[in-house]
Amino acid sequence: MAGNARHVLVIEDDTETGEQLLDWLRTSGYAVDLAVDGEEGLRRGLAGDYVVMTVDRMVPRIDGLEVIRRLREEGVATPALILSALGEVDDRVRGLRAGGDDYLVKPFASQEMVARVDALARRSGTVIRETMLRVGDLEIDLLARIARRRGQNIDLLPREFKLVTYLARNAGQVVSRSMLLQEIWDLHFDPTTNIIDVYVGRIRRKIDNGQDYPLIHTIRGVGFCLRASG
Amino acid sequence: MLGFASVLLGKTLRSSTLKLAFIYVIVFSSAIFAVLGYVYWATVTFVSENLDRSISAEGALLIKTYDSAGHIGLTTLINRRVADPFFDEWAYLLTDPSFNPVAGNLKSWPATLRGDQGWGKFRPLDGQSKSSKQRLFRASYQVLADDAHLLVGRGLDGLDRFGQKITIGLAWAAGLFLLLAAAAGISTSRRSVARIEAINATSREIIETGLRERIPVRGTGDEWDGLAENLNSMLDRIEDLVESNRQVSNNVAHDLRTPLTRMRGRLERAYNRRLDLSQYHALIGEIITELDEVLRTFSSLLRITQIEIRHRTAGFRNLDLTEIAREVLELFEPAAEENGVMLELSTRGRVDVVGDRDLLFDAISNLIDNAITHGGRRGRVIVAVSQGGDRAVLCVADRGPGIPIDERKHVLRRFYRLESSRNSPGNGLGLSLVAAVANLHGAHIEMKDNSPGLRIELQFPIPEKAVSGFPHHEAGGHVGTMPNRASCR
Repeated sequence: MAGNARHVLVIEDDTETGEQLLDWLRTSGYAVDLAVDGEEGLRRGLAGDYVVMTVDRMVPRIDGLEVIRRLREEGVATPALILSALGEVDDRVRGLRAGGDDYLVKPFASQEMVARVDALARRSGTVIRETMLRVGDLEIDLLARIARRRGQNIDLLPREFKLVTYLARNAGQVVSRSMLLQEIWDLHFDPTTNIIDVYVGRIRRKIDNGQDYPLIHTIRGVGFCLRASG
Repeated sequence: MLGFASVLLGKTLRSSTLKLAFIYVIVFSSAIFAVLGYVYWATVTFVSENLDRSISAEGALLIKTYDSAGHIGLTTLINRRVADPFFDEWAYLLTDPSFNPVAGNLKSWPATLRGDQGWGKFRPLDGQSKSSKQRLFRASYQVLADDAHLLVGRGLDGLDRFGQKITIGLAWAAGLFLLLAAAAGISTSRRSVARIEAINATSREIIETGLRERIPVRGTGDEWDGLAENLNSMLDRIEDLVESNRQVSNNVAHDLRTPLTRMRGRLERAYNRRLDLSQYHALIGEIITELDEVLRTFSSLLRITQIEIRHRTAGFRNLDLTEIAREVLELFEPAAEENGVMLELSTRGRVDVVGDRDLLFDAISNLIDNAITHGGRRGRVIVAVSQGGDRAVLCVADRGPGIPIDERKHVLRRFYRLESSRNSPGNGLGLSLVAAVANLHGAHIEMKDNSPGLRIELQFPIPEKAVSGFPHHEAGGHVGTMPNRASCR
């Protein structure tokens, strides 16, 4: 089940938060269904054809994690973004995340949330085995592990190459700092310093210095975006 | 003071020590009375047996005289005896067969002595001698060959007096004993009550006024002092914790109120003034940034608390400390470059620890971040991972101003910031997180003088398998427990 490319299910009992999530996701071009408790969430999850669902950890009637578990039992593989106020102490969420789904600790920025939904939506689509990624005049040769701009090789360390590749795969979309920390360093916590910015800063200098236009853009308060046009 | 004394007395009388003392007194005095009673009985028996013996002997002498010298000889002896002041205590009577007195110092045969012979006690109706009046006598009597009756007796005064004396003595002894025992009991329990009351008074004081009070220690070194000292050190510990808690609350209030006040001010200004759209936009952007900062501080605080209450083994696995340090260093390389700091890793290969990679990464990040931020510009930060003896050591050394010795124990507290770094970025939670992570891993934090600069060490316990001596290390070629030291200088 590939899922309707732009259809998202939101399971959230708090009216205001629900409205916000709906607003954010609709602005980003998603069609959204809202379920206000676990039972409704389960019913809609079983019936509908969603690309992603966001699940509040604690909703009435059926616990959010239980909803996901039952959907999985019924063979619904829709990736879930768990929204939790409990944070790291919630070991069950940690375990679930290890199973492939994502979670976000409240409170969060709209862009961070949308970025994660985007990432999950892409994952549920078909994976294209590419050997070459192109963003503007940036070329990434995945086989030779070489990045070039206007035919000029860019000298990147292995982890820097991995980071640029990840940004390029998500070109045009926002990637948050904690998503980077998770993808590139396999770390699961929110960085409290600007260390990721400094790290990306050096990559930016390698990639953008002396070029016609910048590719790596900082999205204030959230993270970064690789795109060819301003 | 008097009121206190009466309260104290009341407490003394109710006290468990006194009850114990009374039970002790009762048991002990029963034993004493049993012993004294036996002494009384034995003494009286002994004395009365002696008396009977002396009466028998005297009677035998009289019979012998009668046998040898006949009736006249006996009469003569009795008369002599009666006249002898040495035999003042004695009673003699010789009568004819119909009990008419013939010789002796008794006027008539006592009515209590019936039959021909035997033993008995009597009181003379009216004594011949005044001394024998009212006195009680013990006597032996018999019938002689010529049917005459003979009585020999002796006054019981001596024995009576003796018994009386012993009784009085025993009564005094018992009274004195009871008095002393009661006094001792009361004084012991009073002492205990006074000590307990001191502890109680301090407790009440603490309930009412706070943790300043301490239980007085008398310096006697007894168990009461031991109890007082233990309670006092417990109070010290509690006061410490409360104090650091209070400080954290104060700091939370301060660190959160400051940015919130700033935001409020900005919003108020914006509300009162007419701004154009781009200015509003910029203002909202700034406020969001500041709010994010506040939320981040909150998250950090929660994260530390969560680490502190987490169970040790949750999510722990075998890790290579060197590898984690290498990754952190790589992440911080650009930041070091930007600050003009030389960041070096000194290691001789794999060092095993059991732990949580996320947390260790975060802790080491904080240490290196601190070293880069506070290590002075154009400084040198050395990170060393080594294994020596039963410990895996991660050491971060900088060439900055360091931490004064008396500040070192405080810097691990939440929000604690050195005066010198109050104006540099940071929320004062970095080292608290390091401390929480170290604690979760059973690691010991040591801060040393790098002269100049700070050298901070995390000393981890080595997992069993690594200590037992498998050749884990890579290039260095060290095997087993041989020290795998990397210099942190």
